[in-house]
Amino acid sequence: MNLVWKLLRQHISIPQFVGFFFANLVGMTIIMLGIQFYTDTQAIYETEDSFMKADYLIVNKKISSMTTITGKSSSFTRPEIQDLESQEFVERLGMFTSSAYDVKATFRLDATTSFSTEMFFESVPDEFVDVKTNDWHYEQGSREVPIILPRNYLDLYNFGYAQSRNMPKLSEGILGAIRLNIELSGGGSRDEYEGTIVGFSSRLNTILVPQNFMDWANEYYAGTKTKTPTRLIIEVNNPTDERITTYLQDNLYETDQDKLDASKQTFILRIIVAIVMAVGLVISILAFYILMLSVYLLVEKNSTKLENLLLIGYSPSRVSMPYQLLTIGLNLLVLVIAFVIMMAVRNVYLEMFESFFPDFEKPSVLPAVLTGGVLFIIVSIFNVIAIKSKVMSIWKRKD
Amino acid sequence: MESIILKHTLPKVFAQVADLRSEVWNQELAFEKGKTYLVEANSGTGKSSLCSYIFGYRKDYEGQILFDGDDIAKFSTRQWVRIRQTSLSLLWQELRLFPELTAIENVAIKNKLTSHQSSQQIDEWFDMLGIADRKHAKIGRMSFGQQQRVALIRALCQPFDFIFVDEPISHLDDTNSRIVGDILTHEAHRQGAGVIITSIGKHIELNYDKILKL
Repeated sequence: MNLVWKLLRQHISIPQFVGFFFANLVGMTIIMLGIQFYTDTQAIYETEDSFMKADYLIVNKKISSMTTITGKSSSFTRPEIQDLESQEFVERLGMFTSSAYDVKATFRLDATTSFSTEMFFESVPDEFVDVKTNDWHYEQGSREVPIILPRNYLDLYNFGYAQSRNMPKLSEGILGAIRLNIELSGGGSRDEYEGTIVGFSSRLNTILVPQNFMDWANEYYAGTKTKTPTRLIIEVNNPTDERITTYLQDNLYETDQDKLDASKQTFILRIIVAIVMAVGLVISILAFYILMLSVYLLVEKNSTKLENLLLIGYSPSRVSMPYQLLTIGLNLLVLVIAFVIMMAVRNVYLEMFESFFPDFEKPSVLPAVLTGGVLFIIVSIFNVIAIKSKVMSIWKRKD
Repeated sequence: MESIILKHTLPKVFAQVADLRSEVWNQELAFEKGKTYLVEANSGTGKSSLCSYIFGYRKDYEGQILFDGDDIAKFSTRQWVRIRQTSLSLLWQELRLFPELTAIENVAIKNKLTSHQSSQQIDEWFDMLGIADRKHAKIGRMSFGQQQRVALIRALCQPFDFIFVDEPISHLDDTNSRIVGDILTHEAHRQGAGVIITSIGKHIELNYDKILKL
């Protein structure tokens, strides 16, 4: 065994180093896990059809008692649309087109039960549709029309109606297999179509049909191609932008409030993650402090040995090395174990994420690993410098 | 290193002493390579201080100490490490051995640093000094006289231009004192080194080039 190490390991306090090890492990794990969790949840915001996605806002004019009485139009004029589109916070703008013809739908559950209702259709340009499916297209002349329903219709049925009537609950898959009988009428024509539910949208709170079907049907049954829209959908680059709220207020526009709530949620989530990481950092700093105290105490207890080593010709660097390697080794061990714990915890919550968001793509662990690595390097550099300066104080015989 | 010059060197604690009579302190004095010196001293005249100053361990003195004309007060850490490994050896009065290590380990910890002596040579010295059977004993369990001999062997495990031995035989009998003297002069002669021995009474019988009264 190395004789210098044999000398200098005297007085090493195992409990102190174990204390440091666990304190630093907790701190490091919290920091790395915080960053990883943040990275992973960021990925959820970016997942399509996510409840946290707040990049799309649906804008309409405020309906007040005055608008109802005066009969003032609630639809957007062309200059208003152009003005909104030219705002800096707007990336893209799409118009809702509503049906100008009568729609009647019948939905048969079993031999005796069926729903039948007067309803309406709306459409938006395809790029604003958040349901990913290959069935979202209408071929002219076909009697089959794909339909997207708001997700909360399904929830309303499953958890409200079906629950209270002891009716079977319906999954998205079963509904996709059910056909709706749709009757369109207007302009002296009346035709039957078969509607297929191809998906449920969280973003668009309306009954959607493809844009090309809407354009054709409006012209065919109502003889009109363009109708001024009452609702607009805009893609914004930053939903927390103050200017959006100001602009909407100035023009007496409204937006779906829950989207802005979602952006508040993401903001709160960020704050929570930041607080947790700050706690982790504080624990790490305290752990670092424990380590420095332990090493200082060790150097103090072994100061005679260190002095004698220096006097028989050992350099301060050579004498500092065993303690420096010891702390670097401990720090490295902490980093590795913190990484393992982080991966284990991450696997647990990723399973949940993936069950909620099937399209969720696992982001890289690089940011967390890099942060851990940088922290390891900074702490180790501090350790190395502190130990060397402590040994130098023995060399210079300064206490 | 060819010479060690003391220029009006004086421990700071002696600065106020009016009637200081010394052939070393506050004088111009040169130790030359290849020569043997005896510094005789009474207790409290600063014998160990002299060794500490020259070895760069303490700096509480006035005047100058020069190695080959260079003031040692200006030496860097790196220079001192090199000097302590290759030019200057010191056998401390308090020995400065490591009680946790065995006799042979105390020697090895130095020889591993310098790779200067062969293990046969070290074994031979242990034999000559009559402590071969104590090689693997912990230093803490050896008598002071035995420890003095181990410390001497350790002091020889490096190349040197000067060797300072601070009261090397205070706890040794005449036979062992003679053997220590033989080994020391032989090793110094082989390297052409200067030897400075301090003593407060009993000293090794050698052909001293100069005897100084501290």
